[in-house]
Amino acid sequence: MIGVISYLAFFGTVAAILAIAVLGLNLQWGNTGLFNGGVAAFFGAGAYGAMMLGGPADPQQLGGFALPYPIAFAGGIGLAALVAWAVGLLTLRLRHDYLAIATFGVAVALEAVARNAEWLTGGAKGMRGFPRPFEGLFADQFTYNLAFLGFVVIILIAVYAGLERLVRSPYGRVLRAIREDEVAARALGKNATRLRLEAFVLGSAIIGVAGVLYVSFYAFISPQDMAPILTFQIWAMLIVGGAGNNRGAVLGAFLIWGAWTSSGFLLSKFAPTAVQIYTGPIQYIMIGSVIVGMLLWRPQGLLPERIERTKTGNEAPGENASQG
Amino acid sequence: MKTRYLRQLAVAAALTVGGAGVAAADCPVKVGVALPTSVDWGKPIAETALWVTDMINEAGGVDGCPVETILRDTQVDAKVGVDAAKAMVDLDKVQLMMGAVSSGVTLPILTSVTVPAGVMQISCCSSSTRITGLAEEGSTKGLWFRTFATSNVQSAVLTKLAKDAGYGKVTVFYKNDDWGQDMASLLDNALKASGVEVAASIAITDNQPSYRAEVTEALGGNPDAVILALYPKEGIAVTREWISLGGTTKMVGANSLRSEEFRDAVGMQYLGDFIGADTSSPRTASASAFVEAYKAKFGGEPSGPGLPNSFDAAAISLLAYHAAGKDATGAEIAAKVPMVTDPSGVPVDANVEGFKKAMALLSEGKPVSFQGGTGAVTFDANGDVSAPAVSWVFTESGIDEKQYIPLEEVNAFIQSLN
Repeated sequence: MIGVISYLAFFGTVAAILAIAVLGLNLQWGNTGLFNGGVAAFFGAGAYGAMMLGGPADPQQLGGFALPYPIAFAGGIGLAALVAWAVGLLTLRLRHDYLAIATFGVAVALEAVARNAEWLTGGAKGMRGFPRPFEGLFADQFTYNLAFLGFVVIILIAVYAGLERLVRSPYGRVLRAIREDEVAARALGKNATRLRLEAFVLGSAIIGVAGVLYVSFYAFISPQDMAPILTFQIWAMLIVGGAGNNRGAVLGAFLIWGAWTSSGFLLSKFAPTAVQIYTGPIQYIMIGSVIVGMLLWRPQGLLPERIERTKTGNEAPGENASQG
Repeated sequence: MKTRYLRQLAVAAALTVGGAGVAAADCPVKVGVALPTSVDWGKPIAETALWVTDMINEAGGVDGCPVETILRDTQVDAKVGVDAAKAMVDLDKVQLMMGAVSSGVTLPILTSVTVPAGVMQISCCSSSTRITGLAEEGSTKGLWFRTFATSNVQSAVLTKLAKDAGYGKVTVFYKNDDWGQDMASLLDNALKASGVEVAASIAITDNQPSYRAEVTEALGGNPDAVILALYPKEGIAVTREWISLGGTTKMVGANSLRSEEFRDAVGMQYLGDFIGADTSSPRTASASAFVEAYKAKFGGEPSGPGLPNSFDAAAISLLAYHAAGKDATGAEIAAKVPMVTDPSGVPVDANVEGFKKAMALLSEGKPVSFQGGTGAVTFDANGDVSAPAVSWVFTESGIDEKQYIPLEEVNAFIQSLN
């Protein structure tokens, strides 16, 4: 029984970390309509930023300042936000598919930097030995993992609650207005360029939070962790859960990560020995089928966006949820 | 019937939350295998490991218990690999984990799953010197082993071959991943230490449509020979461009290029001067027995990277498991590994009869010297292997051994570099 709890706590921790990243993407895509194809870059920036500030010293590379956890945490978020700001200034003039390609390119470029700049990031070997926060307070690994799950869940709830407030506020309505019709928003005197950049930086900083938590949990980061597959995973979670709906984003993260891991688990458990060797590819086919099926039959996601009408008495009749 | 009911419940639970509990039983003995089966070169590595467990079962199983392998795909994704390992350790209570291939996956499994849980981990194919550092500072608690010679041994053997061939100035092409970068810096040191000039050291990133820029850069250095620390896929692309642009056919290749695919794609007419390095010692009876048995089992040469290493990792760890008993913990299994690889022990072969003999001796408390696909493997204090080396060449009919370099000579050469 302890084993099951231990595994579920582990699963929950990873899923909650991914859910935070999905929430960040949801602010960008679900609410503001910014197609961020470089999720992995901001996740990686958060993780590497925290590792460089909080990790142990290593003579082979820069960084490893072993600073206290809160500083490493803030530094990781700061690096993610900084990267997003620079990328945003350059690329946010682009629309939809162009923005997607540009951000994807940025992510590939940053992965290449992490892989090659050995003096800075340890190269492909990665960096290890991040001191796990508050580990000294707990007697054994099991209770520590439970406590860490609690820590991650608290951050997830805080991010969720903050975003819920944000998207319900007038600010959130402006973001949706930009998403639906930027020209109209401009006509109303809204500085769309600035607002798009703000939403992009804020969303990326939240993805950076997920990166910081990831490196806190694994105590290890390598360029493999910021491969394009991560961007794909986060996007799949948002699409299945429901873009524009924060609850959907969290649900999607848990469901997709659950399907991703349990498909491997079930295949290893129940597939006949003869096909065991093919379970890897089968797993990919299953995951791909689920996503294709979702897109075909429920493109709005499991929990579609719900727009609350502002009770002013004379609103336009045609307002409805968009599929983005 | 009750177990079936429980299992169905477990399936339902797993479908919703991604995990389920199955009570650990004494028999069969469960062993975790975390390998990238969805990657082309990962599948044969996994097949080899499963084949060993079949042979162990045929020989009577671990301590009289059949071995049940739980094979999980790592997808070369640290998140997925660590989750798979965690599920096997927590839910299936495995005490022995084989895997993974990429050091970027192996290392987090080691630090976040197996070592905290006291599970022994053995990898066929991870070569990162990061893990040696981890072992040196005591973070692996003696639970870690690998049958893949570290990049240090590989680079020394490549250097020795280049030097013995009389090349005074070489250019290195290396795969731009953790293994390749390790190799590049180690090769750089080793080559310089042995008096060979390094004209250039050039990173080769996967999946590029062309390597013309890299190859042109290498041509500018005008080297006597090139050293290839590459995998077959990008190795083929680079070698073709290198030769078509007039590069020398004098090449020294790492064991990862020991593949017929590489020979066929590059063409035998350009590979006459090619020398390959490997850390196996196929002169021993058991190593050729491995090759024969592999051919009989899979109908082809064991020519992919890491196959004999995977064989030995599975065999040594399962024999150690046998010696420790079916209820052993990971630490107890790890403690028995030296008994299986004792150079003064009775030599045993890598086949069903050999396993039977080894198990009988181990049960009596007598050490054995396992003669595997990579020779008589021994581990040092960090779980790293030191192994004899061999050079090989491509021929029309396959891949032939050329020269055998005994363990003492390899060690002496490594010493001479320091």
